[in-house]
Amino acid sequence: MASFFSVAVFFIYSMLMFHPDIERGILGEVSLIGMVGAEIVLVLFTLFFLYYSMSAFLEARSHEFAILLHLGMEKRQMNKLVFLETMIIGAGSIIVGIVFGFSFSKFFFMIVREILHLDELPLYVSWQPFLLTIGVFTSAFVVISFISVYFTRERKLRDLIKGSDYLNSLTTYSKIRAVYGITLILTTYILAFVVGHTSLIGLTLLIPFSATFGTYYFFSDSVPCFLDLARGKRKFHWQRYRLLSLAEQTHIMMDNVKMFFVVTMVSTLAFLSVGVLATMSSYTTQYDRLNPLGLVYKGDIDNPYEREHINSLRLQLEEKGLSYQLSRFVVVKQTSSFTQNEVEVFRESDMNVLLSSYSYPLLNMDSGEAVFIPYSEDSLKKLKDRVVHTVLEENSIPITIDSVYPKIVFPGSIVSVNSIVISDEDFANLINPISEKNIIQPSYHLFTFVIPQWMETKEIGKDIDYLESNLYFLKKDKFSPFYFENAGLNYSYILATYSLFTLVGVLVATVFLLAAGSFIYFKLHTSLEREKRKFDVLKRMGLTDIELKKLVNRHLFPQFFLPWGVAMMHSAFAFLMVQGILKDIANISIVKEVFFAFGFFVLIQVVYFYLIRWRYISHIRS
Amino acid sequence: MPILQIKDVTKVYEGKVTHRALNQLSFEVEEGEFLAVMGPSGSGKTTLLNIISTIDEPTSGEIILDGMNPHKLNATELAYFRRRQLGFVFQDFNLLHMLTVEENIVLPLTLDQQPLEVMEERLASIVEKLDLTPFLHKRPNEISGGQAQRTAIGRALIHNPSLILADEPTGNLDSNSSRDVLELLTKVNKDKHTTIVMVTHDPIAASYCDRVLFIKDGEFFNEIYRDDRRQMFFQRILNVLSLLGGGQVGDLSTIRLP
Repeated sequence: MASFFSVAVFFIYSMLMFHPDIERGILGEVSLIGMVGAEIVLVLFTLFFLYYSMSAFLEARSHEFAILLHLGMEKRQMNKLVFLETMIIGAGSIIVGIVFGFSFSKFFFMIVREILHLDELPLYVSWQPFLLTIGVFTSAFVVISFISVYFTRERKLRDLIKGSDYLNSLTTYSKIRAVYGITLILTTYILAFVVGHTSLIGLTLLIPFSATFGTYYFFSDSVPCFLDLARGKRKFHWQRYRLLSLAEQTHIMMDNVKMFFVVTMVSTLAFLSVGVLATMSSYTTQYDRLNPLGLVYKGDIDNPYEREHINSLRLQLEEKGLSYQLSRFVVVKQTSSFTQNEVEVFRESDMNVLLSSYSYPLLNMDSGEAVFIPYSEDSLKKLKDRVVHTVLEENSIPITIDSVYPKIVFPGSIVSVNSIVISDEDFANLINPISEKNIIQPSYHLFTFVIPQWMETKEIGKDIDYLESNLYFLKKDKFSPFYFENAGLNYSYILATYSLFTLVGVLVATVFLLAAGSFIYFKLHTSLEREKRKFDVLKRMGLTDIELKKLVNRHLFPQFFLPWGVAMMHSAFAFLMVQGILKDIANISIVKEVFFAFGFFVLIQVVYFYLIRWRYISHIRS
Repeated sequence: MPILQIKDVTKVYEGKVTHRALNQLSFEVEEGEFLAVMGPSGSGKTTLLNIISTIDEPTSGEIILDGMNPHKLNATELAYFRRRQLGFVFQDFNLLHMLTVEENIVLPLTLDQQPLEVMEERLASIVEKLDLTPFLHKRPNEISGGQAQRTAIGRALIHNPSLILADEPTGNLDSNSSRDVLELLTKVNKDKHTTIVMVTHDPIAASYCDRVLFIKDGEFFNEIYRDDRRQMFFQRILNVLSLLGGGQVGDLSTIRLP
């Protein structure tokens, strides 16, 4: 079943990848690399996963094999048997997987179309994905068959008959490694914290290493050590269920170190990928708020292209049938006596044109009054109660800045942190330019287009954009006389990248999560018989149903939630780190989305736990 | 007042192949008796034990244990009953592998939430009686079969049950360990006055008992009481066993004693 599912997922993904429209799409090379990368990860993972499930399957049938060998089957015959069986299962799951995947492709394409905002993604039949899937999985199965055959050869007949020896793996742990494990994990967390709050990004490289090693040692040594300490105190230990459950837990932990380790790492990766998605999604939704303008054109006073560009923009907008409202600003830089730094000064009436196009409240200022222009969400709070008395030195205009405009009107990339609006009368008196000699743009023209349907503007102004980048390349040390920003275009880039990540991320996360869950499921399944016998003995000794359930709970709960909990902790700290970084760069908070994603995971895990528990109990009771 | 009464118990297994395991079996066990139930394989010994220990229910008939019918109890009460009144010894010991010897012994008491002092005290006395002190901290896979079975007996005894049920306790042991275990059971029976019902097909084991009950094909066949000397009892057991094997009476003549 598991094989079939991985085949299906892989196939759908290949269908997508080879779709001709996607190849031509706006994403171009970036997307292709991303998808191929994800594909490779998927293949590797599937291989690993298939191998694991196959071994579990073979293990379960070891008794059967023992009987066959005992009856006199040659090694060669048995090898052929195993090989054939594996191939049959493989072929079966490939076929079913492909059929299933194909039927779901259309559905999947619809979803993708929605995400990527493409026009349409028609279903197509091409030999490429089929071939790829068949090829990959056939080779995978062949490889796995060989490996399984090799492994079964090693067992002695006597062991196979008695059943795998449950007990011989009571390895000891070392206290030093236990401490080491916990220390490493704590170090990882501290590092994450540090990186988040400072800019020592280089330390980030250390983090995966210390996390990996720390987790491994945690499971192999710290947990048994901890359990042993618990068993030390009799008074605590010899209580109702604890005697049995602690002993069992110790055993399970020591037996399954590798499994727990893998499950934790895989779950962490799954969480992280979903978290990244959440980040991007939040960034995208917040983009709207932070960039309220559709098009922005900023140029020198003597910009030669000004007239031509503005006219071309207006023409393009009209051709597309997009309504717009143009505001024109003249911005003058001055030195503020209060801070001795430059400040950009806007005119009240220019501002009001823009404000009215937003339908925001207009400004009404007297001479001597001024208002801060907010440059970020944070600044709204910071500047709210600030009152500054200053003089615009070059023209000796005294002003009092006593408030901040309560809405964001300019995107963060345009406005500087020191921008104010002054009344028309004062503005008219700004005759002298800023005295600072090295300023390149002592004043500039700003054209803003407020376009309600700004998402449609991505084609507009492409030529201007092109020209700008050309000029930048040609004259590298001179600044171009103009600056053009198309919010719609930027948004479409971001959206595309985001969609790509979503696609890849969701797929990868799903696969990882499923895999993690199934690892645990397999382990439980293989030990089911043994557990049943144990519970049988206990029932003879007198165990009520409730107690049985409680024991099963204690048995299952750590296996599910310990690696998962550790993974959550890891991810939480990773996100704290990312949040810290992001706060500096893009000034957005991903807390809400991360919480949501985590909550979702908790829900899934709990549901899964209850499901498995229900099956487990019904098996044990039968 | 007999501690255990089996009255006309019949057990039929339905299914693709119908099989009558027990057919109107009746007997009584007095308190403090050491009873052996013998019979060839397939005679229904294990079924009988299962029914007494309430794992299985009789199709008809009833059993009275300590004055009440355990099959009338609900599941929870049944569990408590088993935990407090019955003790089990199995052929393959059935010790829990992840617990040490002393933990295995004390397990029933922990499940019953007994206070720590009680547990430790009883553990100490049992361990001494069973001669297990050097092995207390070992695991079941580190001790010999005889020691393991003694541990299992300890586990069956620690909660002072009124009845111990043993299913072929010497089946997996060599002769020395078997002897140890059987002498231990006898001692327990004498000192603590615990009733023991042992199912076995080994006449040597049966010779240690007060009474031997023979079952053939789910029906009562014979019962004999012990003599003063164990050797004689053993011979008489063999006599009856030889009769059990034949299809008609008189097929194999009985062995005469000098």
